[in-house]
Amino acid sequence: MSVVRVARHETRGGIRRWHRKETAAAYFFTLPTLILLATFTLGPAVYAFFLSGVSWNLLNTMHWVGWGTNFKQLLTMPLFWTSVKNSVVFAAIVMPTQTVIALIFAVILNQNLPARGLFRLAFFFPSISSSAVTSLMFMWIFNKLGLLNGLLAWFGINGPDWIGNPRFALSSIMILNIWSTSGYFMVVFLAGLQAIPQSIYEAAMIDGANGLQRILKITVPLLRPSTFFIVVMGMIGTLQMFDQSFIISGGTGGPLNSTTTIALLIYQEIFSYGNVGLGAAATVFLFVIVLVFTILVNRWLGKPIEY
Amino acid sequence: MISVRPKGPGATISRVLYLLILIAGAIIMVSPFLWTVSTSLKPLSQAMDFPPKWIPHPFLWKNYVDTWKTVPMGQWFVNSSIVSVASVIGNLILDSLAGYALARINFRGKTIVFFVIVSMLMIPFQAIMLPVYIILRDLRLINSYAGIILPQLVSAMGVFLMRQSFLNVPNEIEESAIMDGAGRFRMFWQISLPMVMPAMLTLALMIFMGSWNNFLLPLLVANNQNFWTLPLGMVMFQQQYYTNWPYLMAAAVMVTVPITILFLIFQRYFIQGIATSGLK
Repeated sequence: MSVVRVARHETRGGIRRWHRKETAAAYFFTLPTLILLATFTLGPAVYAFFLSGVSWNLLNTMHWVGWGTNFKQLLTMPLFWTSVKNSVVFAAIVMPTQTVIALIFAVILNQNLPARGLFRLAFFFPSISSSAVTSLMFMWIFNKLGLLNGLLAWFGINGPDWIGNPRFALSSIMILNIWSTSGYFMVVFLAGLQAIPQSIYEAAMIDGANGLQRILKITVPLLRPSTFFIVVMGMIGTLQMFDQSFIISGGTGGPLNSTTTIALLIYQEIFSYGNVGLGAAATVFLFVIVLVFTILVNRWLGKPIEY
Repeated sequence: MISVRPKGPGATISRVLYLLILIAGAIIMVSPFLWTVSTSLKPLSQAMDFPPKWIPHPFLWKNYVDTWKTVPMGQWFVNSSIVSVASVIGNLILDSLAGYALARINFRGKTIVFFVIVSMLMIPFQAIMLPVYIILRDLRLINSYAGIILPQLVSAMGVFLMRQSFLNVPNEIEESAIMDGAGRFRMFWQISLPMVMPAMLTLALMIFMGSWNNFLLPLLVANNQNFWTLPLGMVMFQQQYYTNWPYLMAAAVMVTVPITILFLIFQRYFIQGIATSGLK
């Protein structure tokens, strides 16, 4: 606040004029950002609430039917509940798995081992690739006669048609996602690990704590800020998964809707069925579950840590 | 934990165990990419061999030329470059201006502006694709570069990153400029901005990567294939030529090469960006 102290030497009117100039400058600096974010982020979020009460197929004239009609139709639609189930199951498996894998590899990589930079590079590499690239790569690997089944055949296992079989299609996408995001979150954990004071570990070792105790009693609790970020980002990322499902199922959510997620359903409502109102209602529903889960995670992990 | 290094046979065994786990992990992470490169160099008949073989025979480099000729890869490269470079420039200017104001100027409404921007961190694009599509359609931006660029021109995450960096610039440096009567823009441009150049580089890389890899936004905006970007073009190509995996994998390699080069050169800044966004 030394900026203010400098100005205090001036007269009262001078200060007021200076403040006005400062405010004008600040709004000049932030206005383009606010306009763009309002148009393409906040505005659409609000617009979705309005659209969830209309009947419109993009071509005819839009008319208001009320929220009750659209939400009632949405909530009685079997495909909607299939998509909710797929998204929630996907998040419930992928998010914890990628968090645990990221933590394990971050803890190991934080030891004094050779070629750490090279390992970090290898783990991080999948997260710089486009979802389009990784999805196509895994479609090829999960092919009936692909690399994965070749590997399984080596162990005498006759692998299924991963992507063509409704029992395995979503699991294939789960494996793809865990593979592609674990390295990213590992880097976040690594940064968090480096922020933990060394002295705490030294004290614990003098007290005779073993390796596992040190991880469970020191590392995990003190990593809470990183864990919070990773769990929230992982949850948002998995609940609204779209690209991989769209690409691997060719936009259909098949086989037998086993890969239809909420986001894919929204896309289909607008582009395949021309049902903007229902798509918007599903959008609002997606907001609400992301919000509810975020609040729950915040309750669980969001407290500040005390050393 | 780096400096804690217990000695003894137990420690050696655990170090070997750690290394084995890391090697296994690294193989799982890298082998899909190696398999992609391997497939891209095989004749189609050999790519279909079961059980699969790792080494192509012969190395068919012609696949890359053929892929480039079969589909308009050149056009997609140009489109991806236009969109990514424009997004990077927009974010560098707008995110740093907004981040500067939020970090260094005390103005009425600052808390609200900051809160609005932070709250937008929680809105993922997938969740708002439907209203964004309708707004872009109303603005007549479907099938245009502007339609793909404008929604990516600023990012809440970028503003947040720049604000953090400007907060770390010491106050004293700007105080002398205030005494000299310099305006805010001059203070931003001549004094503060040069001090946050590493953060600007981090921002540029993150935005470039996000934009280059973006699939959903071009999918919504570009129905006309003249506007397809690389990820979209590649997926559409797959739906047309879905059996020709060597071509597809060659395309996948070509899409990944530019971002890989950037990553290898600027690895430190990529890691920095993730660490910063993850810590606060």
